[in-house]
Amino acid sequence: MSEIQQVNQSSKRRSGKSNIRVDLTPMVDLGFLLITFFVFTTTMSQPTAMNLIMPNDSAGPQDMVCASCVLTVLLEKDNVIRFYEGLPENQPLIQQTSFGEQGIRDLLLRKKTQVGQLPGSTKELVLIIKSSKESTFQNFVDIVDEVAINQVRHYYLSDINDDDRKIFNLHP
Amino acid sequence: MPKVKLPRKSTAVDMTAMCDVAFLLLSFFILATKTKPPEAVAVMTPSSVSTKIAKEEAILVTLTKEGKVYLMLGDKAKKEAILEDINTTKALGLTPTELSKLKKMEFIGMPFNKIKSMLQLSEPMEPKRMEGIPIGDSTKNELNDWIGSVVRSYRGESMENLNLLVKGDNAAKYPAFKFVKESFKKNDIFKFKIVTNPEGVPLNSELALNPPGGPAPAAEK
Repeated sequence: MSEIQQVNQSSKRRSGKSNIRVDLTPMVDLGFLLITFFVFTTTMSQPTAMNLIMPNDSAGPQDMVCASCVLTVLLEKDNVIRFYEGLPENQPLIQQTSFGEQGIRDLLLRKKTQVGQLPGSTKELVLIIKSSKESTFQNFVDIVDEVAINQVRHYYLSDINDDDRKIFNLHP
Repeated sequence: MPKVKLPRKSTAVDMTAMCDVAFLLLSFFILATKTKPPEAVAVMTPSSVSTKIAKEEAILVTLTKEGKVYLMLGDKAKKEAILEDINTTKALGLTPTELSKLKKMEFIGMPFNKIKSMLQLSEPMEPKRMEGIPIGDSTKNELNDWIGSVVRSYRGESMENLNLLVKGDNAAKYPAFKFVKESFKKNDIFKFKIVTNPEGVPLNSELALNPPGGPAPAAEK
């Protein structure tokens, strides 16, 4: 198919040495066909597992945190994150951010350094994660992943309560 | 002007090298990859920076885009005990043949009151057509009972042996996951894993600069 037979003088004067060249084109075809087959039927990356540990909270929450250490994020529809710093009683400013490097990652990093510089004994950022009804599983995994990326040591997964509804202006 | 005599060259290319490359690639793909497990229920998992490999022998809760919940009992040694336990505790009234039929099914995704009628069908039901295990507020949450049976089958052993995985779709809504999480908590399971796709650690992030022994423990208020 791909080889144009050349009839020249040399082929006529055949000596004892015969030409042992084999046309490998079909073999190459077969090789690539098998590669395509394997690419389509197999998986390259094995799924990984992310750990999630919840405390036994039957005794109820006990720890009080410093007001300026707290960051509350609310995961909303269409990958939007709304957040406020501090406690809900103090009428905090609600801001908006997004997932990704410029959004939540910068925010966590900034807040973490900010809390680290607070006077007094070593304080650490406490992140409270609230997920609205419209947020997706991906949002949840992403935020827990950001926690791991930024090495936030304390984070809480919390349900939306009446305070949040008021502060974020949510409909029940 | 005399005619220039062009030497007639053969267009045949030596295919040996190409053949070598093809088979080298082929052997690489055969060795480096794994055959895809049959995916009866399509789930697109989110990505995380976690590097731990998810084990195969696990109790897997699958959460689909539509919010359906399936249970996969990957621990073969325990599967029979779990199914028998659920049969007696929930009074499903399954005969031994029906039980063995259920045991052969990979996915469990039917409400208790429909398991028997599903097993009486001549053809095994496709997971896609199943309704999913009902989840919701405490009374309707049948996953509670399933996880309860799973935990009972591990009684007397270290809970470390219980490998509980949640595989959720990107687009699954959070409340569905919350109910799954709650049914674990009801059964005193506070540690589980989420199946994700591997993802590179972002450069210059805290995690990349000082890799820890493990991620921070989560807590719930």
